[in-house]
Amino acid sequence: MPGPIQTVAETLNSQIPLEGFLIVAAVMFAIGAWGAVIRRNAVVVFMCVEIMINAVNLTLVAFADFLPDAGGIGASYAALIIAIAAAEVAVGLAIVLAIFRSRRTVNIDEVNSMRG
Amino acid sequence: MTIIFGFLAGMMLVSALGVVLSRNVVHSALFMSGSFLAVVGFFVMLSAPALAAFQLLIYVGAVSVVILFGIMFTQSPQVRSFSTIVNKQVWAGLAVALGVGGFLSYILATEDWGATEAGQGTRDVAAFGEYLLGVGPDSEIFAMLFQLVAILLFVAVIAAIVISRRKDTDIESASDVRDVGE
Repeated sequence: MPGPIQTVAETLNSQIPLEGFLIVAAVMFAIGAWGAVIRRNAVVVFMCVEIMINAVNLTLVAFADFLPDAGGIGASYAALIIAIAAAEVAVGLAIVLAIFRSRRTVNIDEVNSMRG
Repeated sequence: MTIIFGFLAGMMLVSALGVVLSRNVVHSALFMSGSFLAVVGFFVMLSAPALAAFQLLIYVGAVSVVILFGIMFTQSPQVRSFSTIVNKQVWAGLAVALGVGGFLSYILATEDWGATEAGQGTRDVAAFGEYLLGVGPDSEIFAMLFQLVAILLFVAVIAAIVISRRKDTDIESASDVRDVGE
């Protein structure tokens, strides 16, 4: 019969199950989605989209580490996603700068016309 | 393990909430860096050290700096009240986000993933590189994906230059705006 201190130590040293990582990533995705919906500043909306991409990446790496048939290839997919997200940031911020130059605002509630 | 996991999860979620709720845009960018740092810790826990290094270099380094540049070019440095930084959908958006998060968490937690065990990813950086280049076992598709991503990055860089290039008419109209302002 192990004592309470031993039980606590075993709990602290135990392996985190797959669901722990998945739920943390899901909550992070939800926070990013909330921010992308409610914020007015286009740059902050970009940051929230980055957070959502990171949450998806975390899910992918967790699956690659835990599922036996994944064989570690999921980490390579995550590297490709990082590259695509970097390209998205470059193009997106260029668009934000172009909108700011023509309209003097980055408030996406005021930018409601595609006309330059 | 539990202590590290709790610390990283708390850091990640608090930083993510800080991005959404911070009134100062620069604070949002710094919170975003903190959130990415916590993801780096998770990648190390999930036995993907090479990917953690990529994440640290690209996200915490490059993307944060690019976004700070974007803030520098577009923002006036005033702290606004909370009601001006969010639009009218703040509570509806919260409800939708809670619904999405709860639904995803429920599905992911109740799904039977079969025999899962930690530590099955490859810690070997050489094997990771072989997978990424498509020469490892069962990863032939990456020979094509890698080149597609290379072409995508090339096109994206050109597109960013073309979109953000300052045209002559823009300079004239900007000086017009300045004259009117004076």
